[in-house]
Amino acid sequence: MEILAYAAFGLYVSIIAIGGVIAVAAGNLVRALVGLIMTLFGVAGMYLLMAAPVMAFMQLLIYVGAVAVLIFIAIMLVRTGPDGDETTSRSGRQILYALLGLAAPAVILSSVVVTNPVESFSTPTAVTVKELGKGLLGPYTLAFELISVVLLVAMAGAVLIAFERRISK
Amino acid sequence: MNIGPITVPIELVRIMVAILAFSLFIGLNGVILVWLERKVAGHVQRRPGPYEVGPHGLLQPVADALKLIGKQLFIPKGADKILFWAAPILSFLPVFLLLIPMPFGPKLFALDVDLGLLLILAFAGVNVLAICLAGWSSRNKWSLLGAARAVSQCVAYEIPMLLSLLSVAFMEGTLNLTQIVNQQEPWLWNIVYQPLAFIIFFVCAVAETNRCPFDLPEAESELTAGFHTEYSGMAFSMFMLAEYSYIIVVCCVATAVFLGGWHGPFYPGSWWFLGKVYALILVFMWLRWTYPRVRFDQLLNINWKWLLPLSLLNLFVTAFLVKVL
Repeated sequence: MEILAYAAFGLYVSIIAIGGVIAVAAGNLVRALVGLIMTLFGVAGMYLLMAAPVMAFMQLLIYVGAVAVLIFIAIMLVRTGPDGDETTSRSGRQILYALLGLAAPAVILSSVVVTNPVESFSTPTAVTVKELGKGLLGPYTLAFELISVVLLVAMAGAVLIAFERRISK
Repeated sequence: MNIGPITVPIELVRIMVAILAFSLFIGLNGVILVWLERKVAGHVQRRPGPYEVGPHGLLQPVADALKLIGKQLFIPKGADKILFWAAPILSFLPVFLLLIPMPFGPKLFALDVDLGLLLILAFAGVNVLAICLAGWSSRNKWSLLGAARAVSQCVAYEIPMLLSLLSVAFMEGTLNLTQIVNQQEPWLWNIVYQPLAFIIFFVCAVAETNRCPFDLPEAESELTAGFHTEYSGMAFSMFMLAEYSYIIVVCCVATAVFLGGWHGPFYPGSWWFLGKVYALILVFMWLRWTYPRVRFDQLLNINWKWLLPLSLLNLFVTAFLVKVL
């Protein structure tokens, strides 16, 4: 059982990593989006491994089923062919900076994990939907509602930007 | 179960066996449904339908399949090669996952998944993505238009579909399909308590599976073939197989959630389940060959002005009644 769990962990990590690399290094926007979707699938797998199926399915339902599809529509609206601006080759300096940028969170996170090891269960316990619902409508109501306000602000901002462009034309 | 040093959980074995069985089920259904569709279309239009190959044209789909396998696979110039071939596979693969929580009979199911309904809704969204990728990577304006239509249609119709299923989930207090079926009585199915939710679900199911009268993503008179214009041979038939499989999946969900699953007034069992599923599929085909295609603004108006408010109302009334009664 444990070997299978490790195998699944390795598989999900590699899906996430490969997806991330594709998302950053891809030559055009749609391929980058496919990389992002791969990463989202890998993260959903991680949730399943941590015995949080509700989170995993919600991740797929909302991010893959809705958000990724909406990003797709946005990409189609801006008309990118398979040979967009991103296909021009990158200079060595750009790649160096990108790697340095990648190193920063890795170094910080690993140092935090090494100095303050996180306490975790060796076998995950599943949280039922009932407990989750009670938590969201009980002690975590404020945080839950604040997140939706953030989304509302983001949406209003998007509408504002779209309107401004139409007026300037 | 032990294989050498590794202990394989029994669920994994069940899933393996189930996937094998599902491939047989889907393949067989693909053949049967293609024949049935052509026959239904023929009789609706007062002609016999396929008649030459085999008795009553029964071997016609086999001949079609052989032709499709023999066809050259063709990729348009300037198309994105990887995504172009990935799209039909991505469209077809989730079907196996969608069938896993389905209770075909009292003992006949792959896995008793606690969040079965949620699993189906989560993985059903992958099909839209596949259609998008197919439309975009073909580098063809008809394909792209078809993909754009598919996105706005599927995203819109997903919401009332979710809400109508949610009202049943409120009533039953579970997302487990096996339990939902078990809690229904032999005759008093959920459709009796939730007729509006069933109608909304069915309309949304027709739209989500891109079937006529809502088949705008592949409207042949306007977009040649929509998102699969550029696909030939087996790639095209993968899309067709996926479409028929999704019809089977939505009919299975409708049967399990609204029509009492394998329950029946006598001899309950999987034959009831399959009978109801095929009856619903026949309704799908009947609709396709009876109604003309709606216009795109009509399509979106039906959803946002009628189905969405109605399903919200239904959900609120259900929630109120569940709390009060």
